[in-house]
Amino acid sequence: MPLKQDAKIIIIDDMQTMRKIIKNMLLKMGHKNLEEADDGIPGWEMIQNAHESGKPYDLIISDWNMPGMTGIDLLKKIRSTDAYKKMPFLMVTAEAEQQNVIIAVKAGVSNFIVKPFSAVQLQDKIDKIFK
Amino acid sequence: MSTHEKFINFSKPFIDGAKNVFKTMVFSELEHGKPQLKSNPIAKGDISAIMGLSGKLIKDGQETTFKGMFVMSFPESTYCKVASAMLMEEHSEITDDIIDVGAELTNIITGNAKKNLNPDGYFLDMSTPSTVSGKDHKVNYPSNTIVIMIPMNSSHGEFFIELCYQDG
Repeated sequence: MPLKQDAKIIIIDDMQTMRKIIKNMLLKMGHKNLEEADDGIPGWEMIQNAHESGKPYDLIISDWNMPGMTGIDLLKKIRSTDAYKKMPFLMVTAEAEQQNVIIAVKAGVSNFIVKPFSAVQLQDKIDKIFK
Repeated sequence: MSTHEKFINFSKPFIDGAKNVFKTMVFSELEHGKPQLKSNPIAKGDISAIMGLSGKLIKDGQETTFKGMFVMSFPESTYCKVASAMLMEEHSEITDDIIDVGAELTNIITGNAKKNLNPDGYFLDMSTPSTVSGKDHKVNYPSNTIVIMIPMNSSHGEFFIELCYQDG
């Protein structure tokens, strides 16, 4: 089932520019229920708070390289917690090497997108998670 | 392989990466001008994004280390137009809203270059990019290194790529 337009999405990236790019791409796709975190640490807190409030995120879009908690550490934390085991997680990274893909897949990533990407490519990666 | 040859091999993936990133995320084709040797630390642009580089080169069974820097230096007008295109919103001056656009560009381009340097034996470690701005600001390169500057032309205006490479 495709991701609904009112789906609750969190964008986690330490760079304001990339958060804004992803946010604007998602807005153009019709998604309006968007939240942001500037690192994996506040992102993890927001994920837990959203779950406890009964309104969990439908999709996490997270950068890999962040100074506090990296995207891969956040993903491992999520997958090791029963409540979030199946939470859709799209990893964004600037590093396109094969070994990174393998690490992310082993950690249980739902899909993987390498920068640079267009809105069409982002949509395609999200669609593949929810097909 | 001479340092000069290594420099050429090392630089090309950054130029190709910049072209790829601009085409996809800035909606502009890039053309590069003639590389020039740069002999002073004054940046050509009003704002520069700087990525420190280090890593190892494995060639003919021998492993050596290297250091370098990748810099993108923009005149203010080009920077604002690039930021406006990338963020899909209008910006006419450099504010906190767009201050990390250049740093994000160096990050993405270096990520692309990193993959494309692997087949030539270069294994690159990326650092966190930084930004320096202001008229006639300086970019401090390591001493005794060669710095090349490559003028880049886009539909948003001219900017400059600067690269340095050093064995060791």
